[in-house]
Amino acid sequence: MMNRVQNTSTVSTTWLMAAHEQNQVLNTNSRYLHDNIVDYAQRLSETLPEKLSVFYFLNSGSEANDLALRLARQYTGHWDVVVLDHAYHGHLSSLIDISPYKFRDLDGQKEWVHVAPLPDTYRGLYQEDHPDPAGAYANEVKRVVSSVQEKGRKIAAFFVESLPSVAGQIIPPAGFFQEVAEHIHGAGGVFVADEIQVGFGRVGKHFWAFQLQGEDFVPDIVTMGKSIGNGHPVACVATTQAVARAFEATGVEYFNTFGGSPVSCAVGLAVLDVLEKEQLQAHAASVGSYLMELLEEQKAKHPIIGDVRGTGLFIGVDLIKDEATRTPATEEANYVVSRLKDYYILLSTDGPGRNVLKFKPPMCFSVDNAQHVVAKMDAILTDMEGKMRSCETLRLRP
Amino acid sequence: MRELYSKQDTLALRRKHIGPSCKVFFAADPVKIVRAQRQYMFDERGDRYLDCINNVAHVGHCHPEVVKAALEQMEALNTNSRFLHDNIVEYARRLSATLPEKLSVCYFTNSGCLNRSEANDLALRLARQFRGHQDVITLDHAYHGHLSSLIEISPYKFRKGKDVKKEFVHVAPAPDTYRGKYREDHADPANAYADEVKEIIEKAHNSGRKIAAFIAESMQSCGGQIIPPAGYFQKVAEYVHRAGGVFIADEVQVGFGRVGKHFWSFQMQGEDFVPDIVTMGKPMGNGHPMACVVTTKEIAEAFSSSGMEYFNTYGGNPVSSAIGLAVLNIIENEDLQGNATRVGDYLTELLNKQKAKHTLIGDIRGIGLFIGIDLVKDRQERTPATDEAQHVIYKMKEKRVLLSADGPHRNVLKIKPPMCFTEEDAKFMVDQLDEILTVLEEAIGAKSESVISENTPCRAKMPNEARSELLGEGASDPRENPGQKRNGLCTDKHSLLSKRLKT
Repeated sequence: MMNRVQNTSTVSTTWLMAAHEQNQVLNTNSRYLHDNIVDYAQRLSETLPEKLSVFYFLNSGSEANDLALRLARQYTGHWDVVVLDHAYHGHLSSLIDISPYKFRDLDGQKEWVHVAPLPDTYRGLYQEDHPDPAGAYANEVKRVVSSVQEKGRKIAAFFVESLPSVAGQIIPPAGFFQEVAEHIHGAGGVFVADEIQVGFGRVGKHFWAFQLQGEDFVPDIVTMGKSIGNGHPVACVATTQAVARAFEATGVEYFNTFGGSPVSCAVGLAVLDVLEKEQLQAHAASVGSYLMELLEEQKAKHPIIGDVRGTGLFIGVDLIKDEATRTPATEEANYVVSRLKDYYILLSTDGPGRNVLKFKPPMCFSVDNAQHVVAKMDAILTDMEGKMRSCETLRLRP
Repeated sequence: MRELYSKQDTLALRRKHIGPSCKVFFAADPVKIVRAQRQYMFDERGDRYLDCINNVAHVGHCHPEVVKAALEQMEALNTNSRFLHDNIVEYARRLSATLPEKLSVCYFTNSGCLNRSEANDLALRLARQFRGHQDVITLDHAYHGHLSSLIEISPYKFRKGKDVKKEFVHVAPAPDTYRGKYREDHADPANAYADEVKEIIEKAHNSGRKIAAFIAESMQSCGGQIIPPAGYFQKVAEYVHRAGGVFIADEVQVGFGRVGKHFWSFQMQGEDFVPDIVTMGKPMGNGHPMACVVTTKEIAEAFSSSGMEYFNTYGGNPVSSAIGLAVLNIIENEDLQGNATRVGDYLTELLNKQKAKHTLIGDIRGIGLFIGIDLVKDRQERTPATDEAQHVIYKMKEKRVLLSADGPHRNVLKIKPPMCFTEEDAKFMVDQLDEILTVLEEAIGAKSESVISENTPCRAKMPNEARSELLGEGASDPRENPGQKRNGLCTDKHSLLSKRLKT
């Protein structure tokens, strides 16, 4: 359930044979011409808005985000970055610096990093009862931008996971990205959409999660990883001609030993083929909405479930100790996960309160799997209500 | 595998969709490679090239045992390292068995070199966490990776771009005994170069700065195939340890038996030398993205006490570990280290004969299958023969030998082929080189060593017309703008030069 890296079935033959066949023939670097890399770039460009037509291939999400940062800085000539609270963009030094999820426990916030409130309509500043949360949260970003400018600093980029995952499976309200992009562009910065956790059809309705925001929204840079290669180390940065040319103008070559190798591209192509052939995006939409339905039923039944949110096969179940305060039920969530393991179901938790059960399974997850998980969860929660009194929400219903 | 697109179309699509900063070899006439086996690569027409470049295909391109190991594991399981699995622990065990005992803790990442990136980035973090120091001493012309944090410690990159040297970075002279500050005629170059590091440390301390690490490629590759004099690392380590820092040996280009005599290049410095952190990559997976950082228990514990979990989605996954194990087995079973010594020695011998014959060759240096041919315009001045080197690699390509040029002046032909390179390959390569150098020297009127008088240092010059054709009218000298020309990224005018030289 946790393994979003595997988009398709773990032993999908197409993917395997593509990797194996290519492995037998050639696996070398991208300084030689080869068909796979250009074919793959072309196929990827067909899934994206037209202006995102230039690609850089790498091996990990972290590398992709690091390159995105460099591209943004080179293009704008600026240095500072605006991120969301509880964001996580990778484990490299440069990325820990822009990941509040990490830096709050380590080296602290650098002066060139600016944090805007997470657009969390369940637990955040502006909640589901607010008339215009998208506008309100975008205004917060505007405020951050203004205060940065007042200090005489300049913004290179706004970096955001299209659906903040470690922050607790957050679905930003539609329209948020567009307004933020306006403020960021106004300040001379670019918009970087980190699709590493959520791209490739996972959200069901669209191929890319940023597309949930609206037809009119196009980021300047998109980073992809994890699911892109079904487990094979592949990652990618997509951007515009303008950004790419500005980077080239530094005169410094960008070379990545393994990025864009024939095998990585063969694997990437195979994943795209399987996604298409097995119609996994549509599958994610239908199984996802079925799973959400089942979970909503559970929410009505068990007060410990404060919120069920998600889209396609990207779902979060927010467990709370108290309905009024929405305090995260951290220990209880941990307990649920360990009990599920006893039933041979693998699930993990996240969110700053470590209380959100996160569902992001391989895309071939079935209706049966959904029923099975929910049935077990139901049993465990019922059991907890009977035996534990650790919080308000685990009370027996009259 | 049949071609999807014609070579022209491939090139056109590449221009359309691939970041323009991503260069191809031989830009004036790129090579399209569709197949490779052992030390040979094949283009779309089926022409076979001898690959002298690809140290990444360490045990040979598409080695069947590596392919098999990958397939078997992919069929079973490929997931992240948060689950227990035998492969990763077995691999860590085998890897640490090749290293001195105190280097026993492994962190697996995905990319080693040129993306030695992830491994080197982690190495820096380990070093800084250890005692809380920040500063890093690096060597001139070093290259440690393309990530933001590593460009900062790679003079090879930051000197070229608009980036300025950061104040926490200190650059020591590269211990190059051919073109550096202290040369082969110096009484004790190891100590002299080490003293430079000592001075840097003192200066840093005087400004109230603290050294976290000294980082060096065990043998500089992009820096021009530089072999540091024995004893240098030990002395440097002494000074760095005294300052509370650690020694990071970047083995990304040169580990896994390439030097023949030893498994790791740093071992050439002496039995008594043990770095605190070693980074490895490139050859590790024979082309599969893999890298690793190995360090001591002490440093690892300091890192984990920071409270942060280190997680890397792909690092240490079962498939990568299976591949890593297969590579280690092949190195052993096929005695590739022995081969590197035998063929490397033979190749060096042949090249030294070439040096006696061709004045363009200023120096032959190397060990095992890591060799550099330093081309010079003038043996006394040791002026780098940059244009000539570019010319040579293009001509070698025509003769179906793939070679690249590097070094800060792009004049060192670097040889670091797959480890299954044979003596026949060595002879073939040298024969082609001999022909090309002979023709080149005739064309530029270079005289043999015996004719050069000491009073009139003769700078072997290319005829002006040939030179301007090579560079293109009005184009800047490649040495002033090295970022734009490397490994044969010359303009089309290059082919004009070759025509002229043939007459």
